[in-house]
Amino acid sequence: MNKVLLVIQREYFTRVKKTSFWILTIVVPILLAMVYAIPIILATRPLEHSHVLIVDDTGLFQGQFRSGRDISYHEAGSIDYARRQLQQYDSLDAIVYIPARETTLPRDAYLFYRSDMPALNVQTDAQSQLQEILRNRILLDVHGLTPEDYTLLTSTHIKLRTQDIETGRDGFLQVKIVVGIILAMLVFIAVFMFGSQVMRGVMEEKTSRIVEVIVCSVKPFQLMMGKVVGIGLVGLTQFALWVLLAGALVMGVQLTHADLFQQATERHSQTEIASKGTEATYQYQTEQERAAQYQAGEGIDNSIQDLIEGLTGINFAMIIFLFLFYFVFGYLLYASLFAAAGSLVDNETDSQQFTLPLTIPLILTLLLLPSMVGQPSGNISVWLSIIPFTSPVAMLMRIPFGVPVWQVVLSMLLLIATFPLCIWAAARVYRSAILRYGQKASWRDVWRLLKRDKKIR
Amino acid sequence: MLTIENITKSFGTFRALDGVNLHVRRGTVFGLLGPNGAGKTTLIRLINQIIAPDSGTILFDGHPITPADVMQIGYLPEERGLYKKMRVGEQCIYLARLKGLDKSTAEHRLHQWFDRLEIDSWWHRRVEELSKGMQQKVQFVVTVLHNPSLLIFDEPFSGFDPVNADLLKHEILRLKEQGATIIFSTHNMPSAEELCDDIALINHARVVLSGPLADIKAHNPGQDLDRIFIDTVRGTSTGDNQ
Repeated sequence: MNKVLLVIQREYFTRVKKTSFWILTIVVPILLAMVYAIPIILATRPLEHSHVLIVDDTGLFQGQFRSGRDISYHEAGSIDYARRQLQQYDSLDAIVYIPARETTLPRDAYLFYRSDMPALNVQTDAQSQLQEILRNRILLDVHGLTPEDYTLLTSTHIKLRTQDIETGRDGFLQVKIVVGIILAMLVFIAVFMFGSQVMRGVMEEKTSRIVEVIVCSVKPFQLMMGKVVGIGLVGLTQFALWVLLAGALVMGVQLTHADLFQQATERHSQTEIASKGTEATYQYQTEQERAAQYQAGEGIDNSIQDLIEGLTGINFAMIIFLFLFYFVFGYLLYASLFAAAGSLVDNETDSQQFTLPLTIPLILTLLLLPSMVGQPSGNISVWLSIIPFTSPVAMLMRIPFGVPVWQVVLSMLLLIATFPLCIWAAARVYRSAILRYGQKASWRDVWRLLKRDKKIR
Repeated sequence: MLTIENITKSFGTFRALDGVNLHVRRGTVFGLLGPNGAGKTTLIRLINQIIAPDSGTILFDGHPITPADVMQIGYLPEERGLYKKMRVGEQCIYLARLKGLDKSTAEHRLHQWFDRLEIDSWWHRRVEELSKGMQQKVQFVVTVLHNPSLLIFDEPFSGFDPVNADLLKHEILRLKEQGATIIFSTHNMPSAEELCDDIALINHARVVLSGPLADIKAHNPGQDLDRIFIDTVRGTSTGDNQ
């Protein structure tokens, strides 16, 4: 059997058989799913029902408070009576008291509670109802608006949507920023995590001295490549399992919360129609609709719907393909350099002087990410996504925003062209350095090893 | 079996080996002696083709040594090591397969050896759980498992207790009886005297004394190998200084 295959096999199976591999494989998608699912579940979960007494000395709010799914409002005649009731009955949670003022409209209202604070939703709901009722009073009574004008005025809701003029597709800028940053971070973490595993593996072989036996059977280059490929396959296995698990989890959420996805896709197709100009729509929710929605407990945060809607519009097959490409080649590039760094040193502390300069391009790109997402087609973004050492992180950040094909192709070709160079240089350093002990290596040594052309196996 | 002709090897400005000539006869135990830093390990690495000489040739069975010949060598380095996290059996099979054995043969032979050395109970243990001496036993097995025709032991007794050192000595002699040629590098003169047929003494990158042990002892009547070693090393070192 081919010896490189044997090395690959060992590197792969010793890692995949570890418990830590499986823990990481299972925990990461669960964490991600929680980040995604918890807000949705919290938003749809019914809260404990609260009872609130209203004491209105102004008379402006009489009969105006609307009870909802989670809160019931009851009117009380005087504050003293209400206080006594609150003290007496545990089922009451709070009092909203609006004291009268001589001449002007009320400025302050009070939320009285017993010993424990009422739930946050009571505060926010009471606050927004107070605000709304007072505004209604001013508009209808003081300014004498007609109910039609009033409805129109209070239901205005305008949203700025981004749209590609050529494809007519919705932009979902914020979703793209999030996806871009996640992709960039993910490839950065992956390249580092598996790259440093290669370095530690090389150092393990060197410090345990087993390398001396192994290089009698396999060429140092074969050993290095076997390690790089084996650990790379571990990385790919991990991703494959993550995608599968994450897919299963998303499916689970879709099945249990089908309504949510239904709405998102409907809204998505609506905007698609609107964008084709066949229908000039402007939607507005009436007060009643909003109340109805509120009653039905569908007051889900709009941003989550946007997120789901935006995600539905992203080409995930393309993203997964490009992610795999940039991970594989970015990893090959860096892992071989990490292998060379590992071969130069006897312990992890010394490795810093070699790994730090190697990682500067990636770390720099990561630091520039926040400004790059602001201008995904700006000069810095374009250059960094084409230069091989920074392109894996920079290009993946840009992908969700749409990148001209020639830039993607150029970036990919440059990366493909660079990695044999890196491996060549790394192998040259590795094969000489792996058997050197005791001397502290310096960058000058690296240069010497690169220049020296001694035929060694 | 193995002929080393006029080998020179430098690392930068440091000359590790300087015109070394040696001949190792088939079926003998050859002692490679010399103080620390004399060039023994470099010579062994050259034979194993881990590094290449600057000039000179190494002949294996009369032809320049090839990677296929290296596969017939069993090498136990002085600085011994195994993968600490791997299990003993699994690791031995891996190393044996790298030497060209197939899995079932490797497993079969390993169990034979482990039985004889009474270490079969270690099969499923992790290397890190073994003591240093135990690890060395495992390494010895790995070195000889593929029935190499040439064995190179670099300081094989260092780290062994007397009982296990004796066991190892017997195993080495048994391998010799079975027809293996053995190169054996050491500082330990009594064990060299006991085991070796021929010796070569290397000092400052050069062979300063070589030949059949019996002849050398005949030339230095009444002296043990320790004495001969010290005198020769001192003589050649002062010679260098002049």
